[in-house]
Amino acid sequence: MIWFLLSLFVVAAIATAATSGRLGRNVLWIAAVPMAATALWSLTIVGSVEAVSVGFDWVPGLDVSILFRVDALSALLSLMVAGIGALVCVYAAGYFSSSAAGMGRFAATLVTFSGAMVGLVWADSVWTLFLFWELTSITSFLLVGFKHTDPVARTAARRALVITASGGLALLAGFVLFVDAAGTAVLSDISPITGSTATAAAILILVAAATKSAQVPFHVWLPGAMAAPTPVSAYLHSATMVKAGVILVAVIAPAFQETDVWKPLGLAFGIVTMIWGAIGALRHVDAKLILAWGTVSQLGLLITLLAIGTPKATFAAMALLVAHAVFKAALFMVVGEVDVRAGTRNINELSGLRRSMPITFVVALVSGLSMAGVPPLLGFPAKEAAIEAVLGLEGSERLLVGGLVIGGAVLTVAYTTRLLFGMFGRSEPMPNRGVAPARPAMVVAEVVLAFASVVGFVALGGVTQLVRSAAVLVAPKAEVYSLLRWPGLTTAFITSMIVVVLGLVVGVAAVRRTVVSGPAARGAANVDALIDGIGRAARRVAGRVQHGSLPLYLATTVVMVALASAAFVVEIDADALYWWDNRAEAVLVVMIVAAAVAATTVGSRLGAALVLGAVGFSVAGLFVALGAPDLVLTQLLVETVIVVGFVLGLGRLATRFPAATRLWLTGRIVVSLLIGAAIAVALAGAASSPSGEPPVIDLAASAVADGGGNNVVNVILTDTRALDTLGEVVVLLTVAVGILTLTRTRSKRRDRSSETAT
Amino acid sequence: MIARTSPIVRLAVRAVTPIALLIAAFVLFAGHNQPGGGFAAGLLLGAVIVLRTVAGLQQPRHAAVFLAVGGVIVGLEALAPMLWGQPLLDQVVVSRQVPLLGKVKTGSALIFDLGVVAVVVGLVIAVLDGFGAASLVDIGRRPIDDAPVDTSVDSDSRRNR
Repeated sequence: MIWFLLSLFVVAAIATAATSGRLGRNVLWIAAVPMAATALWSLTIVGSVEAVSVGFDWVPGLDVSILFRVDALSALLSLMVAGIGALVCVYAAGYFSSSAAGMGRFAATLVTFSGAMVGLVWADSVWTLFLFWELTSITSFLLVGFKHTDPVARTAARRALVITASGGLALLAGFVLFVDAAGTAVLSDISPITGSTATAAAILILVAAATKSAQVPFHVWLPGAMAAPTPVSAYLHSATMVKAGVILVAVIAPAFQETDVWKPLGLAFGIVTMIWGAIGALRHVDAKLILAWGTVSQLGLLITLLAIGTPKATFAAMALLVAHAVFKAALFMVVGEVDVRAGTRNINELSGLRRSMPITFVVALVSGLSMAGVPPLLGFPAKEAAIEAVLGLEGSERLLVGGLVIGGAVLTVAYTTRLLFGMFGRSEPMPNRGVAPARPAMVVAEVVLAFASVVGFVALGGVTQLVRSAAVLVAPKAEVYSLLRWPGLTTAFITSMIVVVLGLVVGVAAVRRTVVSGPAARGAANVDALIDGIGRAARRVAGRVQHGSLPLYLATTVVMVALASAAFVVEIDADALYWWDNRAEAVLVVMIVAAAVAATTVGSRLGAALVLGAVGFSVAGLFVALGAPDLVLTQLLVETVIVVGFVLGLGRLATRFPAATRLWLTGRIVVSLLIGAAIAVALAGAASSPSGEPPVIDLAASAVADGGGNNVVNVILTDTRALDTLGEVVVLLTVAVGILTLTRTRSKRRDRSSETAT
Repeated sequence: MIARTSPIVRLAVRAVTPIALLIAAFVLFAGHNQPGGGFAAGLLLGAVIVLRTVAGLQQPRHAAVFLAVGGVIVGLEALAPMLWGQPLLDQVVVSRQVPLLGKVKTGSALIFDLGVVAVVVGLVIAVLDGFGAASLVDIGRRPIDDAPVDTSVDSDSRRNR
């Protein structure tokens, strides 16, 4: 079933891409199929104790395998990922106009992303997880940059890719160290590891998780990613991709419980992110950016809870993970609908939406209150569990972590209040423009998610079961905890009520404040400047190295060859060398040298080509003298083609070589002598110390037996060393393609210039 | 230029072409036991093409086709043994009694060599194409920038068909 569902994603991706926009936005219904199927299957698995595993050895020698395992945790996550994915497809079918372009591409990328995310949560070996982790980075890059003609979207997409892909590199390094320390790559087999390798692995994996889950200081890509269409934001930047880091931390946490660095680093990431994100959310007037920063803050809270690592905190993190996915996706959808129908997302411009968009208002209210942690909604027991967990800490940790988490909760209520009041607070109708008619597909998706927030609270027992069976896989002792509908007048409950009141006051006070500028806006700019700077530096270095001067390339190559062969000087043994095998060789060598000298002095180009040919034919004669008929044949043919080719090609050039300066001449002579000396030294060095029997004896023996031919040279070419020949064919092909490309572009350019001339 | 001024050269090249093709085929098959092989055969064909270009005769023009066919043949021949669980590039030798010719021995290396022939021919055509050889033959020795586009090569070669 796992294979079937994953291949369903592949098929859907190909199918949607193949439509290439012919179906318009309706192609999204195809995209929804694998997601809905996965969600339904996850629903049958979720909460069960037994796990389904499949897999195969991918690279047996390196112990790399593709493994999937669907247990209570991964089924819960895939239910979330695929379920919200299907709803997002429905929503997007309403979000995009019927004439929207590029829908095939959009749907294909969305399906690929969704499949990658499902693969990620099902992965049971670190390598499988890594594979899908990278796939989500790439597909999210494509989705953020969907409006590729918009420079803002392109910059945002690039920023997201650079940050998350750097995190991917850290993850790869972290996994290599992890496997080294743990002795296994299978996630369900891990046990606590310690030592310096484990410490390094912990840091690298945490950093990778931080880049993916937008933890400060890597958070800068997430608000920028709001340049994506809102369905993408609702899916990737609330419910799924940003959760990948959280999920990674959750599944790998058991291994690092005894690693000293894990908890403080995780807490530092989480707490700073939680507070900074919430402050950011209070600063913006764009409703989508408020939500984006709110997401950053929530992710910080999740990482904090997982870093605390107590069973209670882990349980709370799981509950919050589910609750957050539900309410945040709904809120993003609301903002998208407001944007499409009212024409703006600026909370200072929106008004009268309570009357004109009543259903949307209810959805926003329900989801917003769930986010703020107000009963009777799913967010309340989850937030309650989180506060319980931090209040359960000891000593100074309780004061510091607890205080900050509660402070973060106050800010969460505050930005939620500000968002709701800002969008729906004013009752006078929108000036100048009306509100566009409702689109059913959008409303349906929103209502389902808002409904889920309510049902989740009503059926809290069932949700507790699911969350608990998932949490015990991370922290086995979490089985004693429950989500409570009415906890009684506990410290936690009183605290959270104080939090709500305080947050409400702060939020109402901040509703009409517009503080857009600040240090946060510069983070993204700095990253962009860094990326641009690297690009510029690379171009400059490439410009220096790839200067385009053929003589300089040649000189560089020759000097390197000369340096490499200099080492052979010590190998030369004058006693082992002799002048010739027979006299004819001497005559031919004299011919070669004479022709070579003539080639350097002759003034006409045609003459030089012919003299070069003379060198080549004399070399062929040398092969005759040495008794190598195959080489003779090939050499003669090559020389023939080259000489005729030269003569043809010379038609494009002046008859004589241009006059050269003395320096240039000297330089050429030095380079020529250098390459000649280098080759001579290398050959003499090699000939001085023959080792063992010449290989020709073995080759001749095996030629008839293995290759079935009497021509040893050709058997070597086609059988014994056929791989070398294959390589040479590839070289020939590459050269030919290069020539074709060069001449095509040249003639195209000529065509263009002649077009402009006429 | 030669094409216009020397009918002898043209006639000679035309007469030599089939012989050269025959020799190329011989060299290809002979490579098994005697000097020759795919590379040499390809170069022979290349030399024919160069000569025909010089004489302004019709010759194959699409380097990409030869390169693609050659590359695919070589690649498939290299991979094919793996389908039967043999190592990459492993070759099969076939030996049969054929009427008139006697015992003929050949192998999958011949297919490999055919691919090499196609690639070498493709390379030669690509280089000629790069020089703009076809037009050079007619414009002769003139600076490139003011060279008029001369279409007489095409009409010439059509007449020779």
